[in-house]
Amino acid sequence: METEITAFMASAVRVATPLLLAALGETVAERGGVINLGIEGAMLAGALGAAIGASAGGPWAGVAAAVVAGLVVGALFALVAVVAGAEQIIAGTATTLGCIGLTGVIYRHHYGPGGVGLTLPTFPATAIPGFSALPILGPLFRQSILTYAAFLLAPALWWLLWRTRWGLRLRAAGEAGLQARTRGVPVRRVRTEGVLLGAALAGLAGASLVLGQVGTFAERMTAGRGFIAIAIVALGGWNPLRVLPAALFFGAALALQYVLQAAVPAVPYQVVLILPYLLTLLVLTTAAGRAKAPADLGRRAASVEGD
Amino acid sequence: MTDPLRLTGISKRFGSVVALQRVDFRVAPGEIHALLGENGAGKSTLMKVAFGLTRPEAGTITLAGVEYPFVTPVIARRHGVGMVHQHFTAIPALSVLENVTLAAGWRPGRSAWLRLRDTMSEAGITLDPDTRAGDLSAGQKQRLEVLQALAGKTSVLLLDEPSSVLSPPDAEALLDLVRRSRDRGVAAVLITHKLGEALEYGDSITVLRRGAVAFTGPADQVTRHVLIQHMLGDAPPAPVTPPRCNPGAVRLEVANLSVDPLGGTGTGLRQATLQLRAGELVGVAALEGNGHRELLRCLAGLVPSSGGSLQRSGVVSFIPEDRTTEGLIGEFSLTRNVALIRGTPAPWLAGPWIDWSQASQHTASLLARHAISALGPDALAGSLSGGNQQRLLIAEALARDPAILIAENPTRGLDVQAATLVSQRLGEAAAAGVAVLVFHPDLDELLSIATRILVLAGGRLHEAKVGATRDEIGRLMLGEPDAA
Repeated sequence: METEITAFMASAVRVATPLLLAALGETVAERGGVINLGIEGAMLAGALGAAIGASAGGPWAGVAAAVVAGLVVGALFALVAVVAGAEQIIAGTATTLGCIGLTGVIYRHHYGPGGVGLTLPTFPATAIPGFSALPILGPLFRQSILTYAAFLLAPALWWLLWRTRWGLRLRAAGEAGLQARTRGVPVRRVRTEGVLLGAALAGLAGASLVLGQVGTFAERMTAGRGFIAIAIVALGGWNPLRVLPAALFFGAALALQYVLQAAVPAVPYQVVLILPYLLTLLVLTTAAGRAKAPADLGRRAASVEGD
Repeated sequence: MTDPLRLTGISKRFGSVVALQRVDFRVAPGEIHALLGENGAGKSTLMKVAFGLTRPEAGTITLAGVEYPFVTPVIARRHGVGMVHQHFTAIPALSVLENVTLAAGWRPGRSAWLRLRDTMSEAGITLDPDTRAGDLSAGQKQRLEVLQALAGKTSVLLLDEPSSVLSPPDAEALLDLVRRSRDRGVAAVLITHKLGEALEYGDSITVLRRGAVAFTGPADQVTRHVLIQHMLGDAPPAPVTPPRCNPGAVRLEVANLSVDPLGGTGTGLRQATLQLRAGELVGVAALEGNGHRELLRCLAGLVPSSGGSLQRSGVVSFIPEDRTTEGLIGEFSLTRNVALIRGTPAPWLAGPWIDWSQASQHTASLLARHAISALGPDALAGSLSGGNQQRLLIAEALARDPAILIAENPTRGLDVQAATLVSQRLGEAAAAGVAVLVFHPDLDELLSIATRILVLAGGRLHEAKVGATRDEIGRLMLGEPDAA
């Protein structure tokens, strides 16, 4: 029993990592007033970038390619939604749909129409001396380097948002674009920067899915994790420090589905698969519904920038 | 010492309307300069030009000796110009410290905290740096606005009608603060349409009339009478005479009515009992937060009561205090706004269908009958001046043929002439048999138009005795029982 609990916790942390990275990225974008539904697409592009990069030059090349892929997708979204001032929801949805199609095309072109059985070099679990020997909690400290990076990013981003001038300007742009502008904040620029940082992290999330978790790539493999990340942001109250436990909570729900599939084979696995998505809906209607979103979230750049 | 602000030959037009015509205006170091004029005279526009919120077509702006054809808020701030707007500009979700840090362009952290502390002690303002701006009271919010404008090296403060949105004690505290800042060398421009305020606080006074300078000079060399002539030109408005009152049938009857405080602040309304008859113009006198908003809005059917009974007969029209956020939708045409306001059946309103051409004709006739200057029924509501917006709201409120008219501070932000017209309309409505209930924060104005006065203090409603003086009513408002 003890080993099962330990295994569950370790897998929850591993599964939570891409969710956490994507949610942290989305937190930055949304603090700046941009809701980026293209994050699912950026994550998928990151996953494909990681696969191509890793098969060519090892896991670190995969990470680099994933971040670049995320940035490209983010730049495209920012161009349409922030610079041109298109409706964010529509631009984001189009971005994600475009990425689903494009990654499929590139994948097949690169690995052939079948493309099955792709095995990629992944990040090995790195044990933290001392902690990894702890009873029960030990496996939590035998994770991939990307997991540690994600957990350290949460306080780092909190500091960026609440303790730096850039963070204050970004939050001002997200809360009240017009007032921020009269105070000399270049609203479009900081919003674009927020979107790009967020998209880079989404790309990294895709890399952690491929290189830290499954070790292969499949079409549409993100399977809605980007959208779950958006729910995590709301549950975490747009605060990186609270996004961290929220991501762990969803990671546990995803990990639980593997446990349940093995434990109660009588229940059709499709039902178990629904669990995390059901949880998303539940969270959005209850706890997260009470959190306060940035006031200008989703407002068109043109209307809040006044030109 | 160079002047902190000098405007030369400023011209500005909005469409075909000339807002400013070759205006010269200068602020000397360390003076309070009152900028006086009616609404629409161009005072706010002139200051918006100075702060870079709008660009002039001609003229130059000289900030601390540096000449510009136009400026932006960032340039203005860099040259020590700070503006305190009529509306709340701080960002509600950010803390006091964060708002001031952002406005001053400081780097966040301990140094910003120390500078805020210094700015507060210099200005004599105490606010908790960590409180979210949205959680401050109205008076505190105004002080935060001043802090934002003062933070950094501010040499001139532009104050846009500060007393029109504050309660009298808050307004007085703010103006005293401006005086103390003046004594430390910070000049100020006080935009106002109140003569008394200009004379009391101004070192110099400039009067604008129809976009041009009508007078400028030291405050101690000019009289009230001369200023009125400059403000209004040759024809001062006729004084308002209280309407003669022949109370008719009871239109509204309320017993022990209680309403919970709106927005969670103030006392709410506690067990109010009153009658409103046709032909009366009843004034409600109250200080902010003593239940007037709850009373008016409950009678208008906008908020539920928490106890007591309420009986009304006939159509009720309500004119909300904030015409730009509650009264009208600025991005909609006048016709659309009128159609939205109209709750009762009209010839052009049949079930779900609106006859737009008739609605447009109706709107056009409102404009003509009430002398509202607008480009036409298709003009956007946001393009009208405050006075014209208010006249349109009253026109439509009366066009609904109401038995009861409830008006919440209907002359807010209006100049003398526009306010007089509004008060006249209310009087005419009462004379025509409408039961009118008006709240107004200015007791003098209330006394000049109301046939009787109700006073709210601590949520309790009292009737002022017939012929009560201003002081007696004032004491009632403060809740001193011996005054009754």
